[in-house]
Amino acid sequence: MSRRASPRHAPLLARASRRHLLRHPWQLALAVLGVALGVAVFVSIDLANQSAKKALSLSLGALQGKATHEIVASAPEGIPEELFVRLVRAGVRPAAPVIEATAIVTPKARGAKPEALPLLGIDPFSEAPFRPAVGRIAGGGLDLKTFLTVPGACLLARGTAGRLGVAVGKRFAARFGTFERSLLLSGLLEPAPGEGSSSLSDLLICDIATAQEATGRLGHLTRIDLVLPEGAAGARELTRVRTLLPAGVQIQEAAGRLREGDEMTRAFRMNLKALSLLALVCGTFLIYNTMTFLVVERRRLLGLLRALGATRREIFRGVLGEAAAIGAVGTLLGLVAGVVLGRGLVRLVAGTINDLYFALSVRDLALPPWTFVTGIAVGLGVTLLAALAPAIEATGTPPQGAMVRSLLEAKSGRALRRATGAGALGLALGALVLPVPGLFASFVVMFCAIIGFALLAPGAAVLLGRALRAALGRRAGRVGWIGRMAATGLERNLSRTGVAVAALVVAVSVTVGVGAMIASFRGSVERWLDRSLTADLYVGPAEREAGFVGASRPGDLIARLGAIPGVVRVRPLRRAEAASPRKGAGTVRLIAVEGDPAATVIRQGNVRDAWAGFARGEILASEPLAARLGLRVGSSLPLATAEGVKPFRVAGIYLDYASDRGIAMIDGAHYRRLWRDDRVSGLGLDLAQGASDAELERVAAIVRTLDPEAPLGVRSNKELRRRSLVVFDRTFKITGVLRFLAGLVAFLGVLSALLALQLERTREIGVLRALGMTTREVGALVAAETGLLGLSAGLLSIPVGFVLALILIEVINRRSFGWSMDLVLTPGVFLGAVALSLTAALLAGVVPAIKMARTSPAEALREE
Amino acid sequence: MTRLVSLLLALGGLFAFGACADRPPEGQRSETRGVASVLSAGSSGSDDGFARALAPRTFVFPADHGPHPEFRTEWWYVTGNLATAEGRPFGFQWTIFRQALASRGAARASKWGARDVYLGHFAVSDVAGRHFRSFERFRRGALGLAGASAVPFKVALDDWVLESGATGESRPTWPASLRATAGEGEERTAIDLILEAGTPPVLQGDRGLSQKSAAPGNASYYYSLPRMSARGEIRIDGTRFAVSGLAWLDREWSTSSLSPAQIGWDWFALQLEDGYELMLYRLRQRDGGASPESRGTLIAPDGSTRAIEWRDLGFTETATWTSPKSGARYPAAWRLRIPGERLDLTIRPLLADQELDGTFRYWEGAVGVTGSREGRPLSGKGYVELTGYAEAAAPPR
Repeated sequence: MSRRASPRHAPLLARASRRHLLRHPWQLALAVLGVALGVAVFVSIDLANQSAKKALSLSLGALQGKATHEIVASAPEGIPEELFVRLVRAGVRPAAPVIEATAIVTPKARGAKPEALPLLGIDPFSEAPFRPAVGRIAGGGLDLKTFLTVPGACLLARGTAGRLGVAVGKRFAARFGTFERSLLLSGLLEPAPGEGSSSLSDLLICDIATAQEATGRLGHLTRIDLVLPEGAAGARELTRVRTLLPAGVQIQEAAGRLREGDEMTRAFRMNLKALSLLALVCGTFLIYNTMTFLVVERRRLLGLLRALGATRREIFRGVLGEAAAIGAVGTLLGLVAGVVLGRGLVRLVAGTINDLYFALSVRDLALPPWTFVTGIAVGLGVTLLAALAPAIEATGTPPQGAMVRSLLEAKSGRALRRATGAGALGLALGALVLPVPGLFASFVVMFCAIIGFALLAPGAAVLLGRALRAALGRRAGRVGWIGRMAATGLERNLSRTGVAVAALVVAVSVTVGVGAMIASFRGSVERWLDRSLTADLYVGPAEREAGFVGASRPGDLIARLGAIPGVVRVRPLRRAEAASPRKGAGTVRLIAVEGDPAATVIRQGNVRDAWAGFARGEILASEPLAARLGLRVGSSLPLATAEGVKPFRVAGIYLDYASDRGIAMIDGAHYRRLWRDDRVSGLGLDLAQGASDAELERVAAIVRTLDPEAPLGVRSNKELRRRSLVVFDRTFKITGVLRFLAGLVAFLGVLSALLALQLERTREIGVLRALGMTTREVGALVAAETGLLGLSAGLLSIPVGFVLALILIEVINRRSFGWSMDLVLTPGVFLGAVALSLTAALLAGVVPAIKMARTSPAEALREE
Repeated sequence: MTRLVSLLLALGGLFAFGACADRPPEGQRSETRGVASVLSAGSSGSDDGFARALAPRTFVFPADHGPHPEFRTEWWYVTGNLATAEGRPFGFQWTIFRQALASRGAARASKWGARDVYLGHFAVSDVAGRHFRSFERFRRGALGLAGASAVPFKVALDDWVLESGATGESRPTWPASLRATAGEGEERTAIDLILEAGTPPVLQGDRGLSQKSAAPGNASYYYSLPRMSARGEIRIDGTRFAVSGLAWLDREWSTSSLSPAQIGWDWFALQLEDGYELMLYRLRQRDGGASPESRGTLIAPDGSTRAIEWRDLGFTETATWTSPKSGARYPAAWRLRIPGERLDLTIRPLLADQELDGTFRYWEGAVGVTGSREGRPLSGKGYVELTGYAEAAAPPR
């Protein structure tokens, strides 16, 4: 073609393309929807993650304020309040005492769900240098008399008060652990102009006295904030402050908290991100599928254009232009939908962080421009990338060749071999990456596996079709020949069905894999709970971090509990934290127990040696701790004790799902000696075997009223188990949502592919009708063809889903959190997968079947 | 001496405006400095359950050096003029106020539950260095963060402490140690003095009952130790100055005092070199005049006192100073004549800028006195407090 002539083809091509797309609105809509959904899921997860992250830093920032350092304790009760007096008397200034806790408040509105609000107990006279927004209450404006002297007086941001339906001067109920408290809203917090309202939103602020009384943490503070000067003066002051601190209390940089919070939730957020990418992968297949179709379908038109002199480049550009247009519209819709979806997801993300890490409520959806830029790039990029192969395909056929369909199918046979080869290569690559450590590598493994399997899927579908044909080979009657035709069609129409099968396999196997992972995880947690919750009743402080009233006289409390009729044994437990100089360790959670081999599963190390070492004062590391710090049996973990830093040998690694940061278990007697701490954090009560529920309730009631001044919380074995699983289920709600979304994308993919496939066969069907097939037979043929496709995809996704589940469980979860779990395969997950793909396929066949059945053969053939 | 209002002003800023809780903080802050609203808040506030200063009482020491929790408000007010051996002069103010939030505190399980709030003001006037440093602190009266006791004598807020230095059976109140540290860097300031009582307590007003406005009970119980000897050191930004000189302790407790018509006061505590002291206050009315309750006490070296009525005085402001920080215009020199004593004094600040810029803005500073008694030249040192000026000068925000 001469260069002069070429410009004339561009508008012609564009017109042809536009006309075609408009004549097939269904296909167009599905393609756009595919892009939109993929982008929406990606964007919404990103927004939810970003919002959670922002809320995290805002929330921690609001709580932390301008503090440069903070004084914290290794004991969960916090630091003794006298330390604050000691510091200010020594002239350590500015210093602010802080109590942090979580208040559960149920909004007054009917049907409203309880909300977790971070409680900040402050001393208004110490605040100004730290949290200016909070400190201003001491600078005038609020009823400090009420704030200080009325028990339960607290402040809320105006928006929060409105949401909770609480008016100034009114009382409302708040729950702290098992304590029910009446609080009085004594005033509203207003951020100063220019200050983000979100920095204070959701904070429940009260005086230290009220905070101590509400949470039961009498005598203790969560921490003391300090602002130390920079440079040498700061270093001197730091040294001076250190000399004032008692054992078990340390000073650390305030920034560490934010870092730790970010670190704590990173694995969680990364997992969500990976899941959103899975949805995007499904979307990509969908786009690829659609674009391929648009090309295949118009091969005659394209051939004609080529014959008329359109260059390859023009055709290529034309196809990509279409893709870009679809991508642009889809991306735009996806961004909008992503924001809407993000609003819903952010609550789930925040809820999980709330359950697992700290009180965090995310009201505002952060809308960082970068997310949208990425969303646009991903939407357009993926569309264009997916259209690349079809575009090349469109240009790659000679003008006359494009007119001949058989050539295309012959080519697709080659493509099938190539795809199979590439799939095998992908799997091999995944296997190669498998030993590479790190979370990112494990995601690479997962994507290699998914794409590898996807590329293998068409080949597998062909084999399945052949097997079916062979099975139906000698069968007479309508079922026989329609079945044979359908089975043959699976292979014959491979240029279109191949991609559909692949897309479906990817999406369905993702739902299988994720479903199997959740089921395995839940099953493992259940078994772990059954095994580790051996006591009948669990006694703890009524509020999670409240100091036991018995903390100062634990022996007394133990004796009194033991004296309750029906109590056979009292098992004290102590939770604490110890700083570790090991690189990256930070503080390590400790649990000091009277070791119970029956309740603890040793995962690594000889069981007998592990317990022998434990009795000698060695530690057992929980799996997440071992994973986080790279500990093995025999490793040494240095921990700061009351007698200085001491190395602790890891005697074994045990199964524990209680903390994703990990726990070091140590023998109670050794703990008490080394940390000079004989307080208790919780107690297990064993009752006589086979104690009835009534008996449990009777003992629980006695325990609750044992100390009226600082009531104890009592939970039964059953209740603890139930609550743990409730939290678990809430945690995985978002995973379930993503799994559903991936399924939806897959469903749309199949719908779009099969719809197009069948519509494109109008002429073929016309021939069949002309040859004497009834409308019912045509309908049955279409249904059989699509059903077969769905079935084969569903069947294929079972092994693929299984492998995915293995990767999720054995690679990703282990690397993210260190947890090991037993693979639990429930038939429901697999049957659901087959049902999902079959339904999608059959549904996709309905419209074309009706349409084709209605078309008169003559009309269908006239197209020729 | 009516420093009561300064406390009401300061603390009124903290909690007199519960009803305005929803307003933006900036607006509230300007209101906290509005004298009228604070005064009315002070007098209309609930006095339920608090004792009132209605009639003269018998003062008992050392018990009365300690707190009087049955009254709403109370302070330990120490000012003084010190100098190094080379004659480098310093002034200091060390004040701790106690303000009860309620006459009866609710029973609290937490040790942080408090009934009293303590406010501290600490200032050092470095006359030669032309630098005035002032600091303010609040604490609740709980956990030993802030508090007061008579035996052993101790008044403390953080590390601002006035306590008896003596130990042993008799536990005498004096000598006492007065300490404070505050500030960072160049502003880092500390004081560490030993105070001797010097004279027995002097009862102000009518046998210690000091009427502040017409209504019965608008009065305080008021005594002074007007000629305490002080020695010790002052540290400014790392430099130590060994100092000695005279200090003045004022003690007052009350539940209510001023009337809404009174907008501020000028208070003088002068130590003359001939052994006399003069305490004098002018309560300024909204109309510009002095309240009839304005008065003073002239204390002779033998401890005998003579009441000075306002009408017995010649009082003239001879200069003013405008604060560059607040724009407030304060009187900055006075001519004071007591014809009956043939006393003629001129009072000038040792440093123009001795304005405290805390929650409540006022001027309190070291002054020098020159003049004559019965024709013979006379000089002295003292402290002056001026309140109610900053608000008048500050543009309404």
